[in-house]
Amino acid sequence: MDKFSFVHFFRLILGLLFGILVFALFRLQVVQGEYYKQIAESNFVRLRRIIATRGEIYDHKYRSIVKNIPSQNLYLITGRIKNYKALADFLYAEFNITADDLKKLIESLRFRSYEDIIIAENVPYERVLTLSERLSYFPELFFRSETTRSYLYPNHFTGYVGRINETEYQNYRNEDYTINSQIGKTGLEKYYEVLVKGRDGREIVQVDSRGRNLNLFRNDSTILPENGMGLVLTIDNDIQQYAESIFPAGMRGGVVVMDVKSGGILAYVSKPGYDPNLFMSKISVEDWQALNNNPARPMTDRVIHSAYPPGSVFKALTAGLGLEKGVVNEYTLLASCVGGLKVGNRFFRCWSSAGHGRSNVINALKVSCDTYFYDLSLKLKLEDFKKFATQCMFGVKTGIDLPNERTGLFPDAKWYYDHYGKAISITGHKVNLSIGQGEVSCTPLQICALYSAIANNGIWITPHLLEKTVGNNTYSHQQINPIMHTRLPVSPTNLRIIQNGLFAFCNLPGGTATGVKVKGATTFGKTGSAENVFGRTTHAWFTGYIVTDTPEICVTVFLENAGHGGGVAAPLASRILNYYMGNITSIKAPVQVPIELQSQTEQEPTPAEPISDPETPSPNPDAEVAQ
Amino acid sequence: MIFAGILCGVLILLLKVPMPLIDVFVIPLYILNLFFLILVLFTPAINGSHRWFNIFGFSYQPSESAKLLTILLTARILAKENLNEARQLIYGFLCVLGPVLLVIIEPDFGTTLMFWMSLMAMYIAAGVPAFYLLLMVSPVLSIIASFHWIFIIVWIILLILALIRFRLSWVTITVASILNLFLCIIMPVFWSGLRDYQQNRILTFMDPMRDPLGAGYQIIQAKIAVGSGGTIGKGWLEGTQKNMNFLPEHHTDFIFSIIGEEFGFIGSLVLLVLFALIFWRITIAIRDIRVQERKIAISGIFGYLVFQTFINIGMNIGLVPTTGVPLPFISYGGSNLLINGLAVGMVLKYLNERGFMK
Repeated sequence: MDKFSFVHFFRLILGLLFGILVFALFRLQVVQGEYYKQIAESNFVRLRRIIATRGEIYDHKYRSIVKNIPSQNLYLITGRIKNYKALADFLYAEFNITADDLKKLIESLRFRSYEDIIIAENVPYERVLTLSERLSYFPELFFRSETTRSYLYPNHFTGYVGRINETEYQNYRNEDYTINSQIGKTGLEKYYEVLVKGRDGREIVQVDSRGRNLNLFRNDSTILPENGMGLVLTIDNDIQQYAESIFPAGMRGGVVVMDVKSGGILAYVSKPGYDPNLFMSKISVEDWQALNNNPARPMTDRVIHSAYPPGSVFKALTAGLGLEKGVVNEYTLLASCVGGLKVGNRFFRCWSSAGHGRSNVINALKVSCDTYFYDLSLKLKLEDFKKFATQCMFGVKTGIDLPNERTGLFPDAKWYYDHYGKAISITGHKVNLSIGQGEVSCTPLQICALYSAIANNGIWITPHLLEKTVGNNTYSHQQINPIMHTRLPVSPTNLRIIQNGLFAFCNLPGGTATGVKVKGATTFGKTGSAENVFGRTTHAWFTGYIVTDTPEICVTVFLENAGHGGGVAAPLASRILNYYMGNITSIKAPVQVPIELQSQTEQEPTPAEPISDPETPSPNPDAEVAQ
Repeated sequence: MIFAGILCGVLILLLKVPMPLIDVFVIPLYILNLFFLILVLFTPAINGSHRWFNIFGFSYQPSESAKLLTILLTARILAKENLNEARQLIYGFLCVLGPVLLVIIEPDFGTTLMFWMSLMAMYIAAGVPAFYLLLMVSPVLSIIASFHWIFIIVWIILLILALIRFRLSWVTITVASILNLFLCIIMPVFWSGLRDYQQNRILTFMDPMRDPLGAGYQIIQAKIAVGSGGTIGKGWLEGTQKNMNFLPEHHTDFIFSIIGEEFGFIGSLVLLVLFALIFWRITIAIRDIRVQERKIAISGIFGYLVFQTFINIGMNIGLVPTTGVPLPFISYGGSNLLINGLAVGMVLKYLNERGFMK
């Protein structure tokens, strides 16, 4: 090859490539220009999203807790607005959307002017009918039939969904969300968003204004939506309803009922409550302010979102540590209670000014003698205390399947130095900690989990709400996120002693909560009356469990600033425990999975099974599908 | 805008800096760039690939600068007078191989292709005999030909005729032909060995229309946009496809569809002519410059700029598969503009030299 001719070769390639481009552009733009112009202007080629149906939420007997109901939503396409003035008047008159809001909306959508955006949710069907005629004047507005959530039993654990906000959209836009998407905001709706959401489908609409297929795409490959999975909870609607109904009006607090053997939560009440259905259409300013400015803070989930001093219910843990460290045994008598105990130059009072005399551990639990635990704490080291508490999952998140759980606190020496300075004497604080006062705090759920573990012979199980999913896939909770089983750091013998103390508390003469009697089961429990900084009245606690031939359920009742645990909390727990035992057969009765909730694989009859005659109705649900 | 300003400053600086200083820096910068290419693999993925560093809001794409530095380094090696042809081939190949391997795992197929294109151009400029190039390209052509048996026969006959024309030894011709024939025949076997989704992915790459809701969606919308521009276009900022958000990445790889829509065939033609003028001027530079190393370097720059332009515009109008190659000087992206600017700057720099240095 000649030395310089390669430049010509380069020019040849250049000419060739650009020639191809010019030719292709000419064909596309000049020859077929009109055709493509029609397509572009018709707006008929568009990708339409088929919204997946959100999974519903059921209790453990497949009774609905959260349902999908049809709803009519009003959409706006800002790019099609013809008469702005008329639109603004119309929206203001009918939907109370001010001209300012509309202007802001249009401004914020200036780069997405051909996307539809939702402007009114859950418009009642009668209004849709009356408005539809007038909508023909506004090509930019249209209604779309979709679904919304109906929360049949307003409570804190389900949470609620809402329209995606700007930050959420920025975070999740690549995960199949649009500016109109619903997204779980709190509770289970948020925690299991990935499961219940499903996957939206797509379809291409490619017909021109005369309804002819444009045939731009060779095949109409519609992607069907994959509906979200339904959540089957461990909640029992009956117990839940009962607990809600007996909760004293006007009080603040929470109730947790937990199945000791499985860790599943049967009832989960936090009061005062709010109605999540309010959030399903645009919440009015008054309602929103009423919810937010209410001094009782109805939006706070008192079961996991706030931590309180546990008071005397904590004593079981102190006793456990004393026994484990060998400082005391079942029979050791500690300092005589003379209505309190003098530590250094400070007198720590027992709740009973009359005093209890000298007690062993069982008696101390039975009468809830503070002095016994004061004296015991003097024999224990704070770091041991902290370690033991942590191993008992105190000051540790339980890992329940709900967002934003509080950790609670059990302080160690470092914490005290950081907060009160190096000069502090820890002994006095330690004495206070031993009866669950002072800096220690925990959520009612943590207490419930701890007592469930005591009931379950020392096996601590992660409390959880989800039992399994239904619908497209059936996953157990274990498959979605593993349930932790750990052993409390207490030997079986020592655990027995604590259980005896809790038994004595509820059953033996002189016990504090002898009023808690359950027919057909043995009761174990402990009350607490925790002093706190928020009021002069103590927080009332009761936590206890019942044992038939096996341990059954653990109930924790917590009432903010309500008085004494024995006075207000224990009767509530007693009624719930009695309700449970009264209805135990119906609660425990096995339930068939309703046919519409079975997953595809379950519904397919196995070939080995004889297919029943279609004429005769069959009791076997599988066979009915086969027909 | 900011990058255009920076670019002007950098270009002036580049023209002021004495040539030897630039020569000294090529190798260290090349190594530093390789290091960046490794580092970029550990950044969070954007749209599924690890291509960008985000520093103070600016994004830097190390594969862009790697292109220019690799060309400069390869040109220097190819220009060594004491090398025989085989060594030229191998050394050039090795220079490109490092960055290419790192870029392909980002993954960024389009940029990899550009590396090979510029290497080809540099081989040609370095005077590597054409039959070597033919032998190098022949496996790729064999793979393409293997789709149909008629193609295979035509291609193999053409290959043998070409090799005879180059007066190669019969041994070479036989070995090359048999290897290529083998490749043609083995390809269908290999193909059926692939899993369905792998086959689908490759087919969709070749023909995006197969997947109208995914890869093909973008192409068809771009095609509608360009086509609907007609002869004279819809006018500046009047494009409707863009407004409908049909083109999610309209400021990056699909910018041409907007130009085509808003300025029509006339506008597209003007743009193509402008590009052609720049490239034509570069070929003049290749002819005029006497220093072998620089000649080769400019050829490399020419190679990747031309093919990048062709592939970008081609994919906007559905001619070639989508590979994520930006349009030089026009697509959004600071490092794209900066590096292409610097590449042209190097050409200017070489042209500025006087006398025998030219």
